[in-house]
Amino acid sequence: MLYLKELTEIGGVSGDESRVRDFIASKIKDKVDETHVDKLGNLIALKKGKKNGKRFLLTAHMDEIGFMVTNIEDDGTLSFSPIGGVDPRVVPGKRVKIADKVTGVIGYKAIHLQKKEEIFKVPAFENLRIYIGTDSKEASSKLVNIGDSVVFTTEYREENGKATGKAFDDRAGCSVMMDLIDNIDRYDFDVYFAFLVQEEVGLRGSAVIAEQIQPDVAIVLEGTTAGDNPEVPEYKWATHIGDGPAVTFMHRGYVVSSKVVQNIMSIAQKNGIPYQAKRRTAGGTDAARLAGTWRGVPSGVISVPSRYIHSPVSMIDLNDYHNTVRLVEKILDEGEVFFK
Amino acid sequence: MDIKKILVELSNTDGPSGYEEAVLQKIEKLIAPYVDRTWHNSMSTLIAEKKGNGKGKLGVFAHADEVGFVISKIEEDGFARIEVTGGIDPKVSMAQRVKIYTRDGATSGVIGFLAPHLQKEEDRKSMPHPDNIFVDISCSEKRVRVGDVSVPDVEACEINSKISGKALDNRSGCASLIWAAKMLQKIRNEWDLYFIFSSEEEIAGPGARTIAYELNLDKAIVVDVTHANEKVPGYPLIKLGEGPVLTIGPMVDKSFKDKISEICSRNGLKTQIEPAPIHSGTDADEVQIARIGISTTVVSIPLLFMHSPVETVDPKDVEETARLIAVVAAEMEV
Repeated sequence: MLYLKELTEIGGVSGDESRVRDFIASKIKDKVDETHVDKLGNLIALKKGKKNGKRFLLTAHMDEIGFMVTNIEDDGTLSFSPIGGVDPRVVPGKRVKIADKVTGVIGYKAIHLQKKEEIFKVPAFENLRIYIGTDSKEASSKLVNIGDSVVFTTEYREENGKATGKAFDDRAGCSVMMDLIDNIDRYDFDVYFAFLVQEEVGLRGSAVIAEQIQPDVAIVLEGTTAGDNPEVPEYKWATHIGDGPAVTFMHRGYVVSSKVVQNIMSIAQKNGIPYQAKRRTAGGTDAARLAGTWRGVPSGVISVPSRYIHSPVSMIDLNDYHNTVRLVEKILDEGEVFFK
Repeated sequence: MDIKKILVELSNTDGPSGYEEAVLQKIEKLIAPYVDRTWHNSMSTLIAEKKGNGKGKLGVFAHADEVGFVISKIEEDGFARIEVTGGIDPKVSMAQRVKIYTRDGATSGVIGFLAPHLQKEEDRKSMPHPDNIFVDISCSEKRVRVGDVSVPDVEACEINSKISGKALDNRSGCASLIWAAKMLQKIRNEWDLYFIFSSEEEIAGPGARTIAYELNLDKAIVVDVTHANEKVPGYPLIKLGEGPVLTIGPMVDKSFKDKISEICSRNGLKTQIEPAPIHSGTDADEVQIARIGISTTVVSIPLLFMHSPVETVDPKDVEETARLIAVVAAEMEV
């Protein structure tokens, strides 16, 4: 797990993934046979097969949730709007980085100045501002532009077998793929690695992938919701961190091909790798696009369960991460079963 | 050391109400070179004394504590419940790393927040009630117990020459006292001068009022922070970077305040004013009524986003507050 820290600390909201892409490309380019960046900005790498011409595709998305500067106000503060699904309740009181260079803070009127009923009111994005230390539109305009991207600035940490940081959705998936590129040998079939853009704004990068690669099967690697919070009764949990990689059987817009699900689960069982089913069907992944574009790619989803995703600080269990890498390695080792 | 470095260092040191010791130690080290002696009283207050001719006693107060949390319950499966120490808005607390001080040292926790994918419509209508806020301590390498105190885990940083971080309420006040002591190296003070770094202001605790009693002061200046760049209907707008703020209200001795105003204008020191018709919400409210009563004023440093992890001050305001303290101390006569 050499790359997760750096991967999560890079800023890359949907539509502005270039820094993530450059980082990944620089690390993998000497370890694969080909890399190229397509028209939408997806980074596609190929590890050629020894013989049969079958194609196995692995994907993870590079983009993260964040914001865009939508206006520079007269008092120098910045108005902003979310990119992807961000709950306004996790936004005030946070530090952000604008256009990868300017530090700002999202404040909120002090509790002393609020009326009682305001304290538990959900803040509205239209009323939140980023302060960048200036007091005029003119001064701010020298530092930032309308349209600049905004990300949280959480640094990555590992403690007590857990990792905390931002953007595990889906830098965890990117990191798994990079580890695989480091670890795996050549297979009989081609292995494609697609690092995708614009997942958080409607699965857009993945929409052009099936046509380009024409894979026989795909596995989407994700950092997915856990939902095992103390206020949530156990029967409502999506996953539980520490119980192993999560295997999706269905989600929004796609019931995962049962053959793919069965193959994933039996490979995990056979190799004694813990896994869990993702037990909620809300939310979608790039698998829905891969299955629904070109003539359709049977696509599975394997995820590292992550608490508090789409917020400034999420948490994964490092065992889940390592088991995800192991599971996908075994899947590739037995990849032929997916072509039958 | 410049004022920005002092602000960053004090902001990064943790000291929620009742647990100010680490902050007081840092301050003591910084101020000791500029005063005659330092000591701690029984209520965890640090006093730094700079002797004059003994004809009068001026106390300059800044509270050293910050708002924070206390662990109130340990739950199964690596979670804990918290209560707030001082007024904290749930809106600035969610999805936030915290530092927890256990009896074995500091450790990490995360105030978690359910991902939007799993929320129901009714979940989205309000902020979670404090009873429902939790800290995920499964990432903690130390055992967390009920009663352990906690603060947001953030490091101060510079934003376009401003300083942003937690606890600048009232570490910026503390910094201004240290800076004033440094300035007074070159100015002789007539009165005995006490720099007082008091405890437990955020919960209206006993810190300032007990030391006000103990020192038997003639006059007191209470240095704290106030809300800047936030238009409160019916009140003047206080602006960041426009200098220290003088409070007008019943807790303030008007003649002392007027004298300070006059000294400031004579020294080219720009000030702002803040009316406080009933309480100032600072230690001045208590200091004024210690013993037979103390002639008290309030000087505030403008600050953005009070009681949040992104409190922000302009170091120029902190320096000007220090200059105000120094010139006033120099002109105190019997």
